[in-house]
Amino acid sequence: MNSKAPPGIPPDIHELAGEYVLGTLSASSRRGVEARLGSDAELRAAVQAWEDRLLPLAGLAEPVTPSPQLWRRVERSLDTLETTPRRAARPKPWWRDWNNLALWRGLTAGGFATAALLAALLLTRLVEPPPVTRFMVVLVAPDDKAPGWVVQAGASRQIELIPLGTVDVPADKALQFWTKADNWSAPVSLGLVKPGQSLKVPAGQLPALQPNQLFELTLEPRTGSPTGRPTGPIRYIGRAVQVL
Amino acid sequence: MSLSSRSLSEFDYEATLAGCAAGDRAAMQRLYTQEGARLLGVVERIVRDRALAEDIVHDACVNIWTRAASFERKLGSARGWIYSVARNLALNAVRDGHREVAVDDETAAALDARASLEAWHDMADAFAWQDSAGRIGPCLEQLEPVRRNCILHAYVDGLSHGEIARRLDAPLGTVKAWIKRSLAALRECMA
Repeated sequence: MNSKAPPGIPPDIHELAGEYVLGTLSASSRRGVEARLGSDAELRAAVQAWEDRLLPLAGLAEPVTPSPQLWRRVERSLDTLETTPRRAARPKPWWRDWNNLALWRGLTAGGFATAALLAALLLTRLVEPPPVTRFMVVLVAPDDKAPGWVVQAGASRQIELIPLGTVDVPADKALQFWTKADNWSAPVSLGLVKPGQSLKVPAGQLPALQPNQLFELTLEPRTGSPTGRPTGPIRYIGRAVQVL
Repeated sequence: MSLSSRSLSEFDYEATLAGCAAGDRAAMQRLYTQEGARLLGVVERIVRDRALAEDIVHDACVNIWTRAASFERKLGSARGWIYSVARNLALNAVRDGHREVAVDDETAAALDARASLEAWHDMADAFAWQDSAGRIGPCLEQLEPVRRNCILHAYVDGLSHGEIARRLDAPLGTVKAWIKRSLAALRECMA
């Protein structure tokens, strides 16, 4: 089978599916497979066959008793889902429209952010699997957890920071947008933000977004941080959540 | 081992998934009671961090609940599907965290040309894999121990090609070739 494949030709479907399930594909190849799975029934069947072939090996990992909080967290998340219609209508529903800022702007009370975000995220999953890894971040004020901004990133290879309301910034100051992944040594500036306006950052300037990646807005001098690192207080902060 | 194996065969995963798809929370709780600790064990082994592992099992449970209706029974087992949801989240978490340096296969092969495979022929098993049930057992046995270790380090530990090469002190291209051929051999053996 391998001898048939000339160099440079993608591996056959069973080989690709096997490496996908085994876990040895790179992040980008994994995304490539995931993007195909929705529409490629043959690949889906090959992947599921490998899942079953290799499943007994999962028994080699010792079970780990979850903390008692874990099931409670799951229950809370499922509760949140149940307060929204589970089987929504086929046409694009209002909550799938990320540009519908009325939704986000309505969520100014602290505490609603997580629930609403979760509901929105999960409901998008019910309809159709998006073709690429996408991320959502809600940036909240560190003190009262009031959501102030949403970051979205997806197929367009662009990160967009969207305000949920207006923010007061002293005349001699500016908000600066930063991000840092777990394995980066320091935050990277994504630019200065005008209060009440969205900011688009071409993601080509950045490595691929990672789950749990940190985003924050700090208060800096009007022309931005003089050091290239955050110097002022954090006004809004949040971490990336992967949207499957 | 025998106790959990018996409970595996007694637990109706398909019916439980169907319950989740129908919105039956008790079914989801039964599934969590049945598989929670095992799923957490599998995920923690891959991500090597307890808190992150719990986050991922949480996400996996929510995904299983919301996507249960999309499970296609004709393609495979319900238990396999459940584990695929959790493992994929865990693998995405570790793969997205590292950007591997790509070495094209030909370069790797040239670099490895002088590497002798003899040194690994009598390598000891890194896993007590004989305990793993199912049809894969006899097929794994047909692989040389070092190739078996590659497969197990990848599946169980979530290691990338590069990490396995470092772990085994073997050339990257050789590890890639071993895994590719081992997968083909396993598939043929289990056909």
